[in-house]
Amino acid sequence: MFLLDAEITGTREVASGMFVIAMRAPEIAAGVRAGQFVNLGWTRGPLLRRPFSVYRVDGETIEVVLKDVGAGTRELLAMSPGDRLSCLGPLGHGFDFETSSRTALLISGGLGVAPMPLAARDAKARGMRVTWVHGARSAEDLCRESDGDEVIWATDDGSRGVPGTAVAAAPFVGLVIACGPNRMLAAVDERWPDAHVAVETYMCCGTGVCLGCAVPLKRGGYDRACKEGPVYRAAEVDWSALPSHLHYDSVA
Amino acid sequence: MAVEVGGLRLRGPVLAASGTFGYGTEVPLLERRALGAMVSKGIFLRAREGTPPPRIAETPSGMLNAIGLQGPGADALVRDYAPSWAGWDFPVLVNINGESAAEYGELAARLDGVPGIAGFEINISCPNVEQGGLYFGNDPRAAATVTEAVRKRTRLPVWVKLTPMVSDIGVIARAVESSGADALCAINTFVGMSIDLNAYRPRLSFRTGGLSGPAIRPLAVHLAHQAARSVRIPVIGIGGISRAEDALEFLVAGCTAV
Repeated sequence: MFLLDAEITGTREVASGMFVIAMRAPEIAAGVRAGQFVNLGWTRGPLLRRPFSVYRVDGETIEVVLKDVGAGTRELLAMSPGDRLSCLGPLGHGFDFETSSRTALLISGGLGVAPMPLAARDAKARGMRVTWVHGARSAEDLCRESDGDEVIWATDDGSRGVPGTAVAAAPFVGLVIACGPNRMLAAVDERWPDAHVAVETYMCCGTGVCLGCAVPLKRGGYDRACKEGPVYRAAEVDWSALPSHLHYDSVA
Repeated sequence: MAVEVGGLRLRGPVLAASGTFGYGTEVPLLERRALGAMVSKGIFLRAREGTPPPRIAETPSGMLNAIGLQGPGADALVRDYAPSWAGWDFPVLVNINGESAAEYGELAARLDGVPGIAGFEINISCPNVEQGGLYFGNDPRAAATVTEAVRKRTRLPVWVKLTPMVSDIGVIARAVESSGADALCAINTFVGMSIDLNAYRPRLSFRTGGLSGPAIRPLAVHLAHQAARSVRIPVIGIGGISRAEDALEFLVAGCTAV
């Protein structure tokens, strides 16, 4: 775990209202695994840091992907190259690629693209064939960037690729890795209980101290998305006790 | 800048408050040499699951939390954390909780004498439990009863963490002092509520939560000052401290440590 003063090196738009921010974070870039995240804070920013999955790594640079959803993300998107972020990470456990399967199926919904480029990287590094099912509400909400040996696009309104959800469009090809709204992950659990899923929670410290990011477990009790998670076996999580979708716009 | 606080000599006046530093083993980053002492996350005698999510909600300059005192219970604390504390160069106090005065006393007795545990902070101010917590903190007789129950079962320093949700904090402070407390901690979080306008219901599953952060600091300075004026024992100031100047406000207001 490192606490770095990370310089922003660039920003690009990858879908309508969805942006990638790149920053220099050499120590994190060197060791981050797919599914791990960073907790970002900035001067005159909100009281709490904001957690983001690491999206891509390029040399000493890491990238995060975000949508313009509230005051915090708006401030982040108003920053320019050269501005600095306080970057804490890598945090949490990433996806586990210890499997005999020769193929990996990545399923993303909307902003759930966040951990997928690294998941594709790590799966390929293990010699796996990667299929990415890339879903969103509509064509303009779909992140333009993709990776893997095969890409299947899916939109709820049918404006691009297979009409319907990413989960419905997915073929079964081995190790399943999914990220998206919690209601999508609940659907993944019904089809592939052994899938590895990255859950979304409200979060505060990111380091296991505050117990704010509780994930309800089917066996009872809670653990911490930031420490034991954010990646779980789909069947472990009690989806009925997690908010199906998080609202981000409620902080003044 | 060593200070004497409620039966303990600390190398400095800056402490990690209960709940902000877990059991001290989670975060490798913090500059531990700066810490005078640590108060561990609150525990009960038995393990507790805590409240369902969402447990936190950010508010202007603050945060509401309703964790519900999730914790492993006394036996696991003794087994998993106290041995590490015994090797540290600053004292660790345990924040103790109960649903009855007798249970507070029983927990203190269970932890008394365990190497690594330097004292107790009695939590009579947690807003996020159905039984106990705040109930003991806003009635002077109940606060005194709990303090006595713990005092009788340990020779270690006993500090009492007060709630701001009272009409006169001086009354509670004096009741606790005369029941044997060595120091007071002022204050715990304020009870607050925030509504999700998309869902027409509270943003926290527990409905209410404890408000912390810079939003409460002026309120906390005032209440810590009132508590310090009411008693002879030292007061540890808590609430919305995020930089040195904030801490100094509490010290000037009459606190011995923060």
